[in-house]
Amino acid sequence: MTRRAQPEDSPPEHRLPNGLTLLLESDPAAQTVAAGYFVNTGARDEQSSEMGVSHFLEHLMFKGSEALPSQALNERLDDLGGQSNAFTSEEATVYHAAALPECTGELLGTLTELMRPALRPADIEPERQVILEEIAMYAEQPSVRVMDALRADYWGAHPLGHQVLGTPETVAALSRDVLRRNWQERYGAGQVTLAVVGAFNEAQVLAWAGRELVSWAVAEANPVISPAVPAHPGTLRRLLDPGLTRVQAAFATPGLGTRHPLREAAAILADLIGGENGALYWALVDTGLTDSADLVHLDYRDTGVFEGGFSCDPERLETVLAAYRKVMAGAEALITDTAVRRAARKAAVGTLLRAEAPQGRLFTLGMEYLAVGEVRTTEELAARYTAVTAGQVREVLRLCPLNLLTGVVLGPG
Amino acid sequence: MLCQTATLWTLEGGLRVAFERRPGPGFAFDLRVPVGSAHDPRGQEGSAAVLEEWLFRGAGGRDSRQLQDAFDDLGVRRSGGVGPEATRTGASGLLADLPAALELVADVWTRPVLPQSDLPTLLDLARQDLESLDDSPTDLLALKSRALAFTHAPGDPGSGYAHPTSGTLDGLAQISAASLHRHLEQYGQAGSVLGIVADLPEEDVLALAQRTFAGWRSGQDVQVPARFAPGGRAHLPYPDGEQTHLTLTAPGVDPRSPDWLAWQLALTALSGGSSSRLFMAVREERGLAYSVSASPTVLGGQGFLSVYAGSTPDRAPETLQVVRAELERLSAGLSDDEFRRAHAGLSASVVFGGESLRGRAHALTRDLTLFGRVRGVSGLRAEIDALTPGQVNAFLRRYTPLQDATQVTLGPGAELQSPQRQQVQA
Repeated sequence: MTRRAQPEDSPPEHRLPNGLTLLLESDPAAQTVAAGYFVNTGARDEQSSEMGVSHFLEHLMFKGSEALPSQALNERLDDLGGQSNAFTSEEATVYHAAALPECTGELLGTLTELMRPALRPADIEPERQVILEEIAMYAEQPSVRVMDALRADYWGAHPLGHQVLGTPETVAALSRDVLRRNWQERYGAGQVTLAVVGAFNEAQVLAWAGRELVSWAVAEANPVISPAVPAHPGTLRRLLDPGLTRVQAAFATPGLGTRHPLREAAAILADLIGGENGALYWALVDTGLTDSADLVHLDYRDTGVFEGGFSCDPERLETVLAAYRKVMAGAEALITDTAVRRAARKAAVGTLLRAEAPQGRLFTLGMEYLAVGEVRTTEELAARYTAVTAGQVREVLRLCPLNLLTGVVLGPG
Repeated sequence: MLCQTATLWTLEGGLRVAFERRPGPGFAFDLRVPVGSAHDPRGQEGSAAVLEEWLFRGAGGRDSRQLQDAFDDLGVRRSGGVGPEATRTGASGLLADLPAALELVADVWTRPVLPQSDLPTLLDLARQDLESLDDSPTDLLALKSRALAFTHAPGDPGSGYAHPTSGTLDGLAQISAASLHRHLEQYGQAGSVLGIVADLPEEDVLALAQRTFAGWRSGQDVQVPARFAPGGRAHLPYPDGEQTHLTLTAPGVDPRSPDWLAWQLALTALSGGSSSRLFMAVREERGLAYSVSASPTVLGGQGFLSVYAGSTPDRAPETLQVVRAELERLSAGLSDDEFRRAHAGLSASVVFGGESLRGRAHALTRDLTLFGRVRGVSGLRAEIDALTPGQVNAFLRRYTPLQDATQVTLGPGAELQSPQRQQVQA
């Protein structure tokens, strides 16, 4: 759990000549080994006409390489114990798997073969259908619909407002050439970090990487990062769907980016307002006005956002809206030493508990590295929370006054 | 390493405690009380769910907010909730906080405030929760499926498995403070199991459990029978839906049957990983669905198979046909490769499942409940290692889930047309 990350003579971070990064955090006491390729690219790096291409590529990686057909690749992943998966977000695409320690070589070999997709036309078409089904599945969920609409309003034309899955139209239009071009441009060695955590031999993995990963191509074109400027119109848009029984509402207002020194304090502020024991819970849920109400802080490379919402009876909407706004407006009064210490301890313990198994630690290690460009041990991450003071949380509120909400309400009217 | 074996105690009042010592700075515990939504009194459906919320509205002299703050002061992560057969409360955190966290949970069970003034709010929240199901096609599907597959017979205890955990509108209307106080008498040490994982000497853990739960009432341990009604079919029209959802429920294998592990292995081959039969046939080869799965559930001490897939309406008939064909061809058995792969997956899943403290604490209470014993990680892996292809295939020859399966579909348009009997494709 709270393991010493590394002996001091063995730094966890290694850079291959082609720019590919290795993060090795071995723990001889672990029972398993987990590995993941963390690719520094996601939906925000797409052209708008190609929305969904990052996620489509993520699916196609599991369709096999030139050397290994789809079924054989999936069988090898299952031979390892079936603990493999992947996800795509606005800024990252991650492929991960875990295995018993005696299978470390096979784990790394298979995961690496997965990163060399053949992108065969015969595999692309059925997978396109799978993604269209995935889009249809989420399109039925009111909480997802309202969030998609909110992000479109809040971010406007900026690619952080892209839907990760794309739309049926953009996904239908993605050709093999477009997929291949995106893969070549965005999966270059400089964008890729391989993290390995758990019971494995670091010297062996380093030697393996020196053989197998040095030929990983460097991208011809570097992805262009457009600075995040939300449209943030401060509007409240109402969407009507007479088929619904309840109202869903979602809001966004500016926060802080991943590299901001007050990033942890921003998360604490969100917890004071919208956590399980936060002011929104006591004002809205404890009183029975709504059956859910929350607020979280999301951070991106160069910006952040406080996002939250609620669901309620249609006839209570105006009352709940007023109560939600009142809590946001009264945030200053929530920031006391006791409340901050309590929230900080909860966040710190949560950080320690998440790291208890290699698969949990893998995500924190890899995602933090993508976000801030450095390795932070579990202890460091926990300490960053416990060090947060009420003064820092007040400073977050000064920088991000939470007073201009962009909102979307979806309901039967 | 994973060679620990759990220590079991039965406390004077009947509470069973399963403890596994494990090095590390954290702890986790899981308390399973064998009263769930199936035990709701007939006509008062929703009692267990409302009662669980009510229990957390203050305990041990603390009001609702002070109780929540006390949990947060420890930084613990809480887990639990109400299921069909049990109510669970658990927590995980740092070792030094185990006694305080366990005392808080014990306060909730043994010294709740149960403020009368909060009850109308809790009933209204349950009503909101019920109404939110109308906006969730997959929840509606699961509910219909349960209602179709599991019937209630006169004389059965409780109201059974057909209603949502949140209850029914009629049931909620009949719940009162007095009825909940009466219902709470069922909850106690009888049949309850406390699983604890922590790096502490056995005697300390035993003393802690004895101290914190001394004086908790006996309660009742009554199993609600799961009466499976075979062969039912239903279609729920959902005109605005994007997809047609389908589910099949079929008999499975009871946890205490010698075939249990063979069934688990067969289900791993059917739906365990990305090369499993359902995933390959429905998703990889035909692109018919994003989500398709078959999973085991246990109700009333019996195992059941529950299959789900969702496809856009035009493609749903083919999805249903392919899913049924895969179930049909199970009885022809697994190939050696499939057996080997499913075997590796099942065996590894035991290790992965035991890695997290929370997962292990949950496994302790689950094992005691379902199997009457705790299966150690290495012991269970040895049992899995002993399975042979011949054994699994002999079981599969006898296993014909489609024969009695109930089928529920939900989506735009009319009921899916599919042949009653699918030809074996194998």
